[in-house]
Amino acid sequence: MSEREVLLTGIGGQGVQLAARVLAEAAIVDGKEVQFFASYGGMMRGGNTDATVVVADEPIDAPPVVAKAWAVLGIHPAHLADPLARLRGDGILLLNTSVVEVDGVESPDGVTRLELACSTVAHDVGNPMAGALVAVGALAASTGLVELASLEAGVDRALPSYRRQHVESSVAAIRAGAELVA
Amino acid sequence: MARRLMEGSEAIAEAMVAVDCRFFAGYPMTPFTEILERMAEFLPPVGGVCMNAESELEAIGMAWGAAATGARAATGSTGQGLALMQESISEMCTARIPLVVINMGRGQGDYFQATRGGGHGDYRTPVLAPSTVAEAVELVPLAFDLADRWRNPVLIYGDYYLGHTSQAVEVQSKDHASTGRAVADKPWALDGSTGGSGRAKLLSSLGEAKQRDGVGYDLAEHLERAGAATLEMGAGIEPFCDVGHCDDADLVVVAFGTIGRFVRWVVKELRSEGHRVGYVRPITLFPFPTEAVVEAAAGARSVAVYENNLGQMIDDVRLSVLGSCPVEFIGGLSMDSSGFGVGPEIDAPKIRARILAELERVEAR
Repeated sequence: MSEREVLLTGIGGQGVQLAARVLAEAAIVDGKEVQFFASYGGMMRGGNTDATVVVADEPIDAPPVVAKAWAVLGIHPAHLADPLARLRGDGILLLNTSVVEVDGVESPDGVTRLELACSTVAHDVGNPMAGALVAVGALAASTGLVELASLEAGVDRALPSYRRQHVESSVAAIRAGAELVA
Repeated sequence: MARRLMEGSEAIAEAMVAVDCRFFAGYPMTPFTEILERMAEFLPPVGGVCMNAESELEAIGMAWGAAATGARAATGSTGQGLALMQESISEMCTARIPLVVINMGRGQGDYFQATRGGGHGDYRTPVLAPSTVAEAVELVPLAFDLADRWRNPVLIYGDYYLGHTSQAVEVQSKDHASTGRAVADKPWALDGSTGGSGRAKLLSSLGEAKQRDGVGYDLAEHLERAGAATLEMGAGIEPFCDVGHCDDADLVVVAFGTIGRFVRWVVKELRSEGHRVGYVRPITLFPFPTEAVVEAAAGARSVAVYENNLGQMIDDVRLSVLGSCPVEFIGGLSMDSSGFGVGPEIDAPKIRARILAELERVEAR
């Protein structure tokens, strides 16, 4: 597998940073190389938040800010334009239809589009802040980027000791995301 | 040992503790702060000491004292804090005291500060510039070894990207028992003994012993000896770098640190499209990998230098090729509003455009 770059973009409170970390941890569980670079504003909720996760079999060449994306996870439309411009012509575009108006988001013909109500599903499983985890679960299930079991293990590795109460609902969000594309 | 997802700052701190660094002092400043936080977390459980000093001046003073006892000690900051430490760094060089300085720069505007320094006297500091978390983990033990071997401060020059990027890396356990090796091999260390000489040990930038038949020091003798040690160190450290695609390159691009990583990626992409371009990424900034740059540039029509500053390392590149081929600057300062060195130009498509424009200019000549 060559380098697979996943760009996540959303706003604070959607679980973007946690989902990116869970994905990175899952890649380690799978024995792969991984790189993770985050950028986010000062606000806890509502500010822009982006993350780049690169997964590969070999040591990673890509710099922290990648030029091209294998997949873009648009969890919120506010800052979608920049990552979208980096999406490869044959890449994967996952849009969170709970908050993204998909008709307004254009993509090249070769792009695989996954339009999923991630935030709604997250709310339904009892973890409204896990929209990005739903998206990551769906991405893993539809592409095999990482094993689903590894993603679930990733939750355990990524959540700090004072957030253990969210392990179960985070795993539920990942499973619900996987079921959306089953 | 298992690989773990670690941010650069955490990995550097763990790597320091793993090679027996037992004293750290610093003052918080982005992007250095997380190193200090991690050392504060990691050192006490292994019997080490981490001090949040009142300022960078005190931080390096504390590290100086710890290092003088023979302990492996380190400090760090970003360029602004390193500016305050310059006098101490130069004095420690002349007093011949090992120290590791973690210099987490904002952009690359402190290349001259790192490689030349702003202290006084005939001193030099080895500088190691990693471009990935994994490379930083490899360079930390080397920095401590060089510092001990040459009895001289050594800098590791990183940046915001290095500190905040996470990678799957393996670091030797920081919890292993201290070997005590660092102290045992330092007969000069101020350990309370006279070392069998019957005379007090002295570690000073003025000399290692007062004159027997008078007060004061023989500075001529001491500075000559310290100078000779500096020259020996400069010649004794093998410079190294990452070189790629230079064999039949028309244009060779030289860049270091994080920028070097972006340049390497862009050069590989351009190569895959058939462009005759190569790269050199110096890892030791002092001593500079002069021979490697000369060799890479030998068949090239031009050399380009990309730095996130107004052009500093370009001096070392020009001193390397000595006019044998043109050396042009294609970088420039790119800053964010906070001044952390995370600028909009630090992006592969933009760096690609600059390299491609320079390549076209060179090939049109």
